[in-house]
Amino acid sequence: MAAQKNDRNPALMALTSSALLLPAYQSVQADAPPEFAEAGMQYSKYKEDDITGKKAFGGGSERFDIDVAQFHLLAPVLDDWSVAVDVAWEDMSGASPWFVGESASGDPKVIMSGASIEDTRTEVSVTTRYYFDRGNGGLSLTYSDEDDYESKAVAFDGAFNSADGMTTYSGAISYSDDHIDPTQGAVPTNTTSASKDIYSAWAGVTRIVSKRAIVRFGLSYTYRDGFLTDPYKFRDSRPDERKEWVASGGYRRYFEEQNSALHVDYRYFNDDWDVQSHTLDVAWVWDYSPAVTYTPFIRYYTQHEAEFFNNLAQRDQRYFADDYRLSAFGAFSYGLRASRKIQNWEVSVDAERYQTDESWGVFSGEESPGLVDFWRYGIGLNYIFK
Amino acid sequence: MQRVDHSFKAMGGPARFRMEVDDVGLADVAVTAAVAEVERLERKYSRYLDDSLTSRINRAAGTDEVIPVDAETAGLLHYATTVWRESGGLFDLTSGVLRRAWDFRSGRLPGQSEIDAILPLVGWDKVRWDEQGVSLPLKDMELDFGGCVKEYAADSAAAQLQRHGVQCALVDLAGDMAAAGAPLHGPGWPIGIRHPRARDSAAATVILPKGGLASSGDYERCMEIDGVRYGHILNPTTGWPVGGLVAVSVLADQCLVAGSAATVGMLKPASQGLEWLEGLGLPWLAIDMDLQCHGNLLEAGSH
Repeated sequence: MAAQKNDRNPALMALTSSALLLPAYQSVQADAPPEFAEAGMQYSKYKEDDITGKKAFGGGSERFDIDVAQFHLLAPVLDDWSVAVDVAWEDMSGASPWFVGESASGDPKVIMSGASIEDTRTEVSVTTRYYFDRGNGGLSLTYSDEDDYESKAVAFDGAFNSADGMTTYSGAISYSDDHIDPTQGAVPTNTTSASKDIYSAWAGVTRIVSKRAIVRFGLSYTYRDGFLTDPYKFRDSRPDERKEWVASGGYRRYFEEQNSALHVDYRYFNDDWDVQSHTLDVAWVWDYSPAVTYTPFIRYYTQHEAEFFNNLAQRDQRYFADDYRLSAFGAFSYGLRASRKIQNWEVSVDAERYQTDESWGVFSGEESPGLVDFWRYGIGLNYIFK
Repeated sequence: MQRVDHSFKAMGGPARFRMEVDDVGLADVAVTAAVAEVERLERKYSRYLDDSLTSRINRAAGTDEVIPVDAETAGLLHYATTVWRESGGLFDLTSGVLRRAWDFRSGRLPGQSEIDAILPLVGWDKVRWDEQGVSLPLKDMELDFGGCVKEYAADSAAAQLQRHGVQCALVDLAGDMAAAGAPLHGPGWPIGIRHPRARDSAAATVILPKGGLASSGDYERCMEIDGVRYGHILNPTTGWPVGGLVAVSVLADQCLVAGSAATVGMLKPASQGLEWLEGLGLPWLAIDMDLQCHGNLLEAGSH
């Protein structure tokens, strides 16, 4: 029979909350390097829907396809350390919006980049992490290289647990040095070579509020300095600085009878380009059996347009852009992840559909003809060396 | 999936792990870690071992020496304080000293003067402790973690098994049970609860899917004089056997909480003990002096 619950009984609550402070019940909070090495591979396919003739000059066109392969290795070393290596390869091809013009009927329509853009990206990241009784600290170095873009980044992060193990404080700082040399050919570019620096800081706190629930809250700040204009967009001129703030919160609650956990996450973004956004994520993690987990999820996103966004870019202004990613819109994405453990292996598959529309947003603005819907599929394999 | 059993002796009684595992080699590592955990707690808290922390605390009684404690011990002291408060002072880790007056093998009742001489040494409120250390103010005072350490060890051993990759395990430390995951086939681990007066027959069978089950009873040590039963559960304020329920079993998320809930049920007069158990809202079974069974464990379809 299932244990009956009466969490409102004050005596039981007092006994339970006092018991849970003991170390035997805090295995989840104990910071220790992973016990076993693990390796994982993931393949994902990202496919944007074609743009229709109604939205583009010159008839419908294919948009981007991206294939991503990722490899991950994590191993404990010495007594208190772990090392992780992550490698990712991306192969992109297709066409993207070049600029927006006015059709004979007065509607804005996209002119696509025409010739297919091909690019590949390789990213390698190495993270070393040190574990101590009450927390851990990690240092990671990342190098990313593609035909036209190079990025070098360094990040430091740390987490510290309170004495009772109920609260975790975390923080991170990172710096990235990026350089772009646009590929000449498919479209004329608006620079031949440029660079930017990205500085970012993050702080967060996670608290166990009951034996079945966790809340977290985080704040981050990112400062971008350098060439922020999209070199492949015909009508694009953006400020050389961007200051971004993000406030986020999350709630996890475990439901014993359903063997499930509800994850609700919210994120608010604001920057000095007048872009604001709200993101709400809801996921239901259902342990169908000890080996099989299903996770349906849904996400809502809504964005306020940048102050210099116009479908027909205002080129007499200092800054202008017709990039749909800076327009006002709302988006839903939804999907399912499934995973199965077989001895030391774990196989996972996931599929996600993303759809967007100006009218779904809470902020009004001109609807960009460049808005894109996409599908994403993935399959992953993980192995634990034990 | 294979069934693996491991039996050993710990904390003065039989101990047993029942597991279902994919990989027997992995289970060996897990069992070694879990047995080591039980032995660690025994070495640290047993009052029978001279170099245990408990013995050091007791030897320093009355000397003003503060014995330093670690976070785990401070946690147990904090927990003991909570149970003492919630039980209205009945659950008291200093009451063990009353054993000096009560010898249940002798068949002899102690004189009131013997009890009165010991009672001043009993009282959780006399213990001085904080996160750093503990001291007993009076010579001959005794601290005995026996009232909670075996249950805590069952939980901690189950956590060790789980941490080492065993997903289905039942830890049984002489009747204090902690389950880390239910067996693959079936809703949980079937456990027979012994009838208080019939050594080998079960009063009920319960299914434990996870969490803990603990039992407390006065059938282990008692004596009968002139037709009156004197059980070994002593009221810390009077020094006399409680004369309440004769057996209580409770299921809770932790064996530790189940054990305290059952012990407090035993420490109260029978009718108040039943009220306490009913009020907690946990699954429970109690047997009174007339061998009547009470509690929702029976109603829930156990037999």
